[in-house]
Amino acid sequence: MTQSLPALVFMVPLTAAVAMPVVGHWKRSACRPLTVAATIAMAVLAAASLFSVGTFGPVRYALGGWQAPLGIEWIADEVSATMAAIASVVGLLVLGFSGALGEASLSGRTVPYHSTVLLLLAGVVGVIYAGDLFNIFVFLEVVSLAAYALVAVPGGRALLSAFRYLMIGALATTFYLLGVAYFYALTGTLNIADLAQRLPGLLESKAAVGGIAFILIGLAIKMALLPVHAWLPDAYADAPDSAAPLLAALVTKAAILVWARILLWGIIPANADAEQILYAIVSGLGIVASVGGALLAMRQTEIKRIFAYGGIAHIGLVMVGLGQASAKAAAGALYYLVNDAVMQAGLFIFAGVVAWRYRVRAVDDITGAGIRNPWVVAPLVIAAVGMVGIPPTGGFVGKWNILLGTMEAGNPFAAAALVLTTLLTLAYFAPVLERIFRSQRMSRMGEPRGELGWPVRLSMAVPAALVLGLGIFGDGLMSAFLRVVGGP
Amino acid sequence: MIQPPYDSLICRRTVRMLVPMVQIFAVYVLFFGQYGPGGGFVAGVMFAASVVVDLLVFGDREETRQAAERLLASDGVGLLIFAGIGGLCLIGGGAYLDYSGLVIPGLDEAERRHLAILLTQAGVGIDIAIASISIVFSLWRAGETGDEHA
Repeated sequence: MTQSLPALVFMVPLTAAVAMPVVGHWKRSACRPLTVAATIAMAVLAAASLFSVGTFGPVRYALGGWQAPLGIEWIADEVSATMAAIASVVGLLVLGFSGALGEASLSGRTVPYHSTVLLLLAGVVGVIYAGDLFNIFVFLEVVSLAAYALVAVPGGRALLSAFRYLMIGALATTFYLLGVAYFYALTGTLNIADLAQRLPGLLESKAAVGGIAFILIGLAIKMALLPVHAWLPDAYADAPDSAAPLLAALVTKAAILVWARILLWGIIPANADAEQILYAIVSGLGIVASVGGALLAMRQTEIKRIFAYGGIAHIGLVMVGLGQASAKAAAGALYYLVNDAVMQAGLFIFAGVVAWRYRVRAVDDITGAGIRNPWVVAPLVIAAVGMVGIPPTGGFVGKWNILLGTMEAGNPFAAAALVLTTLLTLAYFAPVLERIFRSQRMSRMGEPRGELGWPVRLSMAVPAALVLGLGIFGDGLMSAFLRVVGGP
Repeated sequence: MIQPPYDSLICRRTVRMLVPMVQIFAVYVLFFGQYGPGGGFVAGVMFAASVVVDLLVFGDREETRQAAERLLASDGVGLLIFAGIGGLCLIGGGAYLDYSGLVIPGLDEAERRHLAILLTQAGVGIDIAIASISIVFSLWRAGETGDEHA
């Protein structure tokens, strides 16, 4: 039974998502409890899967009983099991928060919203586990379609952002699929592990170079790597508050996890000669994205946009980690990725709570809003500390390992970029923190709306606790990640 | 986009004959998918096409509107059948979608696989048919109310 846990983690949200229209037709008020129950079940199964992977070792799950490379393979190792667990927890947090906003915030689209959230979670789990290029494409499409729909939920202005996102996202998946086709034509396989065995000797061919280039371009758009990030800030800023944390925490992270998988398990093991060039490209792109993203974040005036650009900078940091010839940096990058998912969820839930309760969207308005509630302020401070990367947070563990890796690989530019991004992160968080500590209620802002019930408090507190927990108790997980990427 | 009944005797007679034939052929394609080209997707599209032609020619009627309501609500049923049968295989100890794990007394393994593939294909067919028809219905409603968010 423990063998089948990855499939169950995927099946529970998928089944609930497709059952949602029927359930909603029968009884509209049943949608939310069903969604919450399915997500809780998913979280329990994902935790069980993580535990079983940690105890009995990685699972290679053959869907339909067809063994890889002929069949479709799902790989549940420490990295993917951790990501799946984090995804289900983020789903729960977002649902806890969206309950407080009530039906009005969804413009009456209760059934589609809950169905799409579950579909997004199922798709993310699929992307995380999938071990072959074509299945990754399919699940990336599931995630993206759900994300477009979630951005469009409020209607109005958001429709335009969603349409732009849809166009750019469709372009990205087309590029990705084109790259997959090149690889398939060249090697006759779609399985990533099998690809690593067949690629050596074929790498001089232009098809391999084209395949890598197209896959990188496609995934770069999906993960919003800096020069091709333009869709992200608008999409996240216009997305409803009850969906933005989900998008910020999971969608771009899924794409970069795919790139990590293809790079570390598919291309690098096959690739002795061109390795240095590829590392240099990935690292260079990461340096540009991390410093550029952080600089752009400093220029923003809206809370959600600051966090969105912060996320873009962090995608760059993960790319820097993946672009070093060092297992430590790669493991650190994956660890940072897991952390970033948690931190982004926490930050966007904070932005949502502040927008809902205090009607504040711009940074300057925080001063007058009188935000004194420790349940709101403390998680923000912890998430900010994690984003900057100060111990004892998970952000520090990831960043430290990436930094050690850049030293190991003898790459001073990457190390300098890492330190610079850290300082810039501090710089763009400073105004938010400064204003929140000076925050005095002014009459023009009105009274805070609603009560912070325990689901919202939990949605705020759990990411903060996870950021701290991943920092303090992260050693075991970090060494497991090192094992997965093939380090000592 | 769906208008009152189309005023042409030839058109109505032809469609009245054509629709059942297309539907029977769709079912044939569904079963034939076991042995050759065809299967749930194509069968679903063909079935949906027959319904769409029917809608375009016989047009806007009260029963059509009621059917539209129900159809839009049953959007996920086909996928539910697909995922459900895939999941039932887990109970028999197989992997997800490993139809040999489906426990049905009195059937040997090949027959179980045959049956399960047929059922999942039927699920795919239902889903595709409902999705295609519901696109037409959504466009119809959007055009009627002038509300682009319908």
